[in-house]
Amino acid sequence: MLTPTKPITVDDLPGLNCGLCGLRTCHEMADRLATQPEFIERCIHLSNNHISIATPQIATGPTIMAAPHVVETCGGCTVNERVTVQSKLAPSWCDTLGREFDFYLEHFPEEPGPREIMLPHNPLLTREMNIQPGDILIGRPLGMSCGCPITHCGIAMEVDPRTGVIVWCVTGPLHPRQKGFKDLGYYIAEGYEGLITQTRVEVKIGMRYFFQPRMCMLQWRHSGLVNFMNHTPGGLQVRLEGLWIG
Amino acid sequence: MSDRIYFDNSATTPLDPRVTKAMEPYFAGIFGNPSSLHWAGREARAAIDQARQQVADLFNAHPKEIIFTASGTESDNLALIGVIEGLGQRENHLITSAIEHPAILETTRYLERQGVEVTYLDVDGDGLVDPNDLQKALRPTTRLVSIMAANNVVGTLQPITELARITHEHGALFHTDAVQAVGKIPLNVKTQPIDLLSLSAHKLHGPKGVGALYVRSGVSIKPLVHGGGQERGLRSATENVAGLVGLGQTAEIARAEMSDEASRLVQLRDQLIETITTILPNTYLIGHRYRRLPGHVCLGLAGQEGEAIKLLLALDEAGIAISTGSACSAHQGSEPSYILRAMGFDLIRARGSLRITLGRFNTAAEVDRFLIVLPQIAADLRPITSRHFVAA
Repeated sequence: MLTPTKPITVDDLPGLNCGLCGLRTCHEMADRLATQPEFIERCIHLSNNHISIATPQIATGPTIMAAPHVVETCGGCTVNERVTVQSKLAPSWCDTLGREFDFYLEHFPEEPGPREIMLPHNPLLTREMNIQPGDILIGRPLGMSCGCPITHCGIAMEVDPRTGVIVWCVTGPLHPRQKGFKDLGYYIAEGYEGLITQTRVEVKIGMRYFFQPRMCMLQWRHSGLVNFMNHTPGGLQVRLEGLWIG
Repeated sequence: MSDRIYFDNSATTPLDPRVTKAMEPYFAGIFGNPSSLHWAGREARAAIDQARQQVADLFNAHPKEIIFTASGTESDNLALIGVIEGLGQRENHLITSAIEHPAILETTRYLERQGVEVTYLDVDGDGLVDPNDLQKALRPTTRLVSIMAANNVVGTLQPITELARITHEHGALFHTDAVQAVGKIPLNVKTQPIDLLSLSAHKLHGPKGVGALYVRSGVSIKPLVHGGGQERGLRSATENVAGLVGLGQTAEIARAEMSDEASRLVQLRDQLIETITTILPNTYLIGHRYRRLPGHVCLGLAGQEGEAIKLLLALDEAGIAISTGSACSAHQGSEPSYILRAMGFDLIRARGSLRITLGRFNTAAEVDRFLIVLPQIAADLRPITSRHFVAA
């Protein structure tokens, strides 16, 4: 390891001419070091930058260290089964912040993603932007709607131009990349509809629950009030309103 | 095409026209099976032999030490499973890092199910494996250590020479997934005690569907694919002659142009890093400032991580292709998070990175245009806080 306490000559350099310092040759590096000894920091072979003790520059908020494996893909799970309470395959019933929840909310298998009922913060946008079923939309749920920090992307399924309410399926960014999109800015997530196939409690209409939307990228629990229930072969179909994260 | 910019060269790279030209005869006139003894077979065999020499020359190996495969992923599988199965030991311990590509991590998970014990080394905030951690993790039953040469998401270059030396001193084998690094940084198996090295052509302006595994002479591995005994019995299947010719040409070009190309890309990379972090004060570099791939920039957006998707889409509309780890769908977003989380980033920040990766055909003019377009698009982002957010 070199320290620029004495002039560094080309003979001190590795002679690899690798270009990783931004100069083509070690000769050029030696010339630069004559006037800029600190430039040695750019030589990955000699400098003391092998190992840093750096931590991320921004580290506010909860930090969760890595599990030693690839994160499990959580989408596309099989839902062709009746709802089971405390299945053997049930997970720990804790979200990524260690908070308990009661059930997973799955999306309808025939739909491209989780079904969300939402309202643009300016409901007139629905008409002004001529939102139509099939349109690709992006926007971020704000405030009492959930307060999710992540911009969502999805496909409009139903549109009510009178009230501005849009029902869409959140899909991720692939569709917008392929087909273009309309940006709603902020929106209010008014409700979710989906299937419950795994729960650790009996779900009753009118009750508020903690639940985990299966496709939530942060895997944070949500809470909401069940105001519709219907037993189907695929699971317990529910609608949840009054949504909060946490 | 001229108004489009491709800055996602860590995902894949456009084919170099010189590689295309070298491959063309093998799609038409030269069609033989390299295993055939007649003239047609001999023509194909000669082409493969030349490709093997070209690949070996890239990191100072012997041609007999090169096993052709169909991908970097296959090379990784062959290295890990092939070595462990080839040992025939009852107790096997393998060491890797928490930020490897899924081609490694899914393979180690498979091996765990077969009874192999696996240690996953942590990394620091720059994504670097500490050699001291490796030293401490070694056991009498440690047979293999696999650490990637360069990380695909954050671009950090691992100290593989030191890691390989520690591994060798212990008497274990050292494998490196060099898919992102080969042809971009100097690798020399004569001076670096690397026993196995995986590479892929399409990351280096070569064709997709072609890879190779370097296996140091004397290292015993078991094949994954059984059949006609091609590749010294380690990878049976009729060779993809055109693809291998492309790989060989890719390797030769990279070897000849590595120094000039690396220095050019480092200058463009540093221009991107310095300009973006200056004009967009809420951005910050992820990964080591200097120990990184020449054309690799990974940026965070303090306070706007959730908007990474929007930035990506808006850049896409402007004809600029970059990559992000952010996606409100596990289908698209699972890969980067475990790497950034291993580096100590919280869940939101682990999803909010932007990856800008330059390649051979990117120009200074493209970088200049990107640096004009990016602030215009970034100005439209919605911050999570209404106050101006400045990175600490």
